[in-house]
Amino acid sequence: MPARELVSLTDTADLYATATGLIERSAAAYASGVPGGTGDDGFFGPASVTWRMSADLASPVAGLRSLLMQALHPLAMAGVDQHSGWRRDPVGRLAATTAYLATVTFGERAAARQAAARVRRIHDHVRGTDAVTGRPYAAGDPALLLWVHGALVDSALAAGSLVGTALSAADGNRYVAEMVTAAELTGVPRHLVPSNIPELDLYIASVRPTLRCTPAAAESMAYLLDPPGMDEDTAEIWQDLRDAAIAVLPRWARQMYGYDAPPPLTPGRRTEIRQSLGVLDALFLGQPGVLEARQRITLRMRAGRPA
Amino acid sequence: MRLIRLLAAMVAGAATLVLTLVLPGRQPGRLRLDRARGAFGLAARGGVRYAANAPRLFAAAGEQRQLLREDLALQTAEDVADTLGAMKGVMMKIGQMASYVDDGLSPAVRHTLARLQDSVPPMSPDLAAAVVEEELGAPPELVFARWDPRPIAAASIGQVHRAVTLDGRAVAVKVQYPGIAETIAADLRNVALLRRMLRIAAPAQDIGALLSELRDRIGEELDYRREAASQYLMAAYYHGHPTITIPAIIDGLSARRVITSELSSGARFAELASWPQHERDLAAETIYRFTFRSLYEVRAFNGDPHPGNYLFHPGGKVTFLDFGLVRHFTPAELQPLMAMARTICVEHDPEAFRASLEKAGFLRPGAPLSTEAIVEHLAVFYDTIREPGPLTITSDYASSVVRRFFDLRSPVAAYIAVPQPYVILQRINLGLFAVLGELSATADWRAIAEEIWPFTHGPAATAMGQAEAAWQAHRQAAAA
Repeated sequence: MPARELVSLTDTADLYATATGLIERSAAAYASGVPGGTGDDGFFGPASVTWRMSADLASPVAGLRSLLMQALHPLAMAGVDQHSGWRRDPVGRLAATTAYLATVTFGERAAARQAAARVRRIHDHVRGTDAVTGRPYAAGDPALLLWVHGALVDSALAAGSLVGTALSAADGNRYVAEMVTAAELTGVPRHLVPSNIPELDLYIASVRPTLRCTPAAAESMAYLLDPPGMDEDTAEIWQDLRDAAIAVLPRWARQMYGYDAPPPLTPGRRTEIRQSLGVLDALFLGQPGVLEARQRITLRMRAGRPA
Repeated sequence: MRLIRLLAAMVAGAATLVLTLVLPGRQPGRLRLDRARGAFGLAARGGVRYAANAPRLFAAAGEQRQLLREDLALQTAEDVADTLGAMKGVMMKIGQMASYVDDGLSPAVRHTLARLQDSVPPMSPDLAAAVVEEELGAPPELVFARWDPRPIAAASIGQVHRAVTLDGRAVAVKVQYPGIAETIAADLRNVALLRRMLRIAAPAQDIGALLSELRDRIGEELDYRREAASQYLMAAYYHGHPTITIPAIIDGLSARRVITSELSSGARFAELASWPQHERDLAAETIYRFTFRSLYEVRAFNGDPHPGNYLFHPGGKVTFLDFGLVRHFTPAELQPLMAMARTICVEHDPEAFRASLEKAGFLRPGAPLSTEAIVEHLAVFYDTIREPGPLTITSDYASSVVRRFFDLRSPVAAYIAVPQPYVILQRINLGLFAVLGELSATADWRAIAEEIWPFTHGPAATAMGQAEAAWQAHRQAAAA
């Protein structure tokens, strides 16, 4: 992989594409991932905790925290950094992830399998050596895939309980158990995947010693937390999202990045964050197809709810 | 004009509380001057009339039921919070107000605000009934003789049900979403975020005064008792008026989150467009009289001149609905408006006009501008009333007024500010011109204004003016 992509933080501004169209393209990806509801209910279904979680206002915080966690794995980060071309099209990269998650969550089983197979094929070509640790990596390595999965599930729980709608302990465990299937789709053997909250906590603690903030992680996350190309007022609203994601990170992860401890999540601060999330959500909702997609989900959840 | 088309489209949407009932078979007729006398007769035996009309009005309201997503109905207070919490209810309200002056908004922002309004389904029958029970002390089936559990129309923070009272009156019952008042009140406290949102929505605008006024007005709308009081005040003032009808508030069936008023019928704004020009002129004259009489005599301005809030009858009769956004003025706040109109329209004194602008805070004192330039910039707002004689308000004129209002390139614009008490008034004024322009209404607006201006009190200028004079004489006689 060309070393010139591992550039220092000071002179990278020109290398980045701007975040223009972030909301528009993420919204399009989301809307296209939610089917009309004529086929099967997919791997989770309207009664699942997973569907409920994905509708939560805290979802963007969960997404951002999840990226922050995932990036701390040097090999996972190296794979993204050296192969995904996120600098050229960061918005497209994020939109692809959004589309994938929407399809796996809400799509019919065949569509979810197809999307997962496509990702696995791409992963087959993502191999290399991490410049920081000197270790080889392969994106199809179940250990890396499991970290990406664990970070996502842990982040949904953390963001939900701190700025969203907190789950009961039972529902939290159900969510972790439901999501095992998502890991399996990406190629992790089922028996390796944590299936309740204590297992998930143990797993994350077990990976923690291998985590670190590489230059690539610092660079890509700095971009995400302060995306260029947003107008000033949208950028200020984005700051609340960023603050929320950092606030719901584990303390050790914050320290690895060197982020200042955020202001405590008092009820007042939590309200402010939710208000900003509401504005972002309204912007998202204003995009074509998003309202209809959400209405389809709501109707299917109602149909699936015991009367 | 684009603005009006947008508003007309919103009538069909979930934007406002309206009962837009079209009674079949009614054709516009001619203005009859004896309507004034007739109205007194009707008022005297109003109770009887309403009881007799109740089944018809109740049925008509059902036939005109607005298409709502009842399949997505909000079933719990948590559903309400998910849908309208976290600033979304506030944004919806801002969108509703901003829609009158859409020239200040980008198409993307307008679209987003419209989608937000579309995203709010009605309450489930059980949820709405629970609010009625909490507010009125008993379930709606007991409070009313007839109660339709399905809403007939959406309101911005509630919905409207048709009902018949125990004493036989057909009524519209507006029921507020549970918890929405608390969440909107909390959201209005986040001034920094509101400021950002307004800057995103209308980057070219001076938003300081607008923000304060929007916060005050939206905050007021959360308590329906205030709306009931405004509507009561208006209904009391216009009681027996020859062409203006305000549905009566039903005492005892209105509370913080429930407001009950007489059910009304009439033709919608869109239908008025197909009526003869003569009818449109009369309807416009009534709207004009209502607007400025309310301002100068009731010291209140209905900040919601949405075309969906008017119901039309032949002969220029108009029923005015929805008093959720009424701005009440103190005499001191009205004084500058009168001084401005008097100096430029009656006294034709540019220097005095300039002085009155400065005194009111519209113009920075000592601005390095010629008085001619100031008059040139602002006179367009008074074009319809500077000289006597019949004049047609066209859509082009309405557009030019709006453009001038949002014209920040003019050297004068830098020294112009709209003080908070007048922010909504100014913008809604633009909405009024848009409505009159859409009707291509012709009248001697100056002569009508002279009738109404407290500093002129001119003679009746039209047939409607004569009927109004008779009404006023009757009022004064009754008061004496």
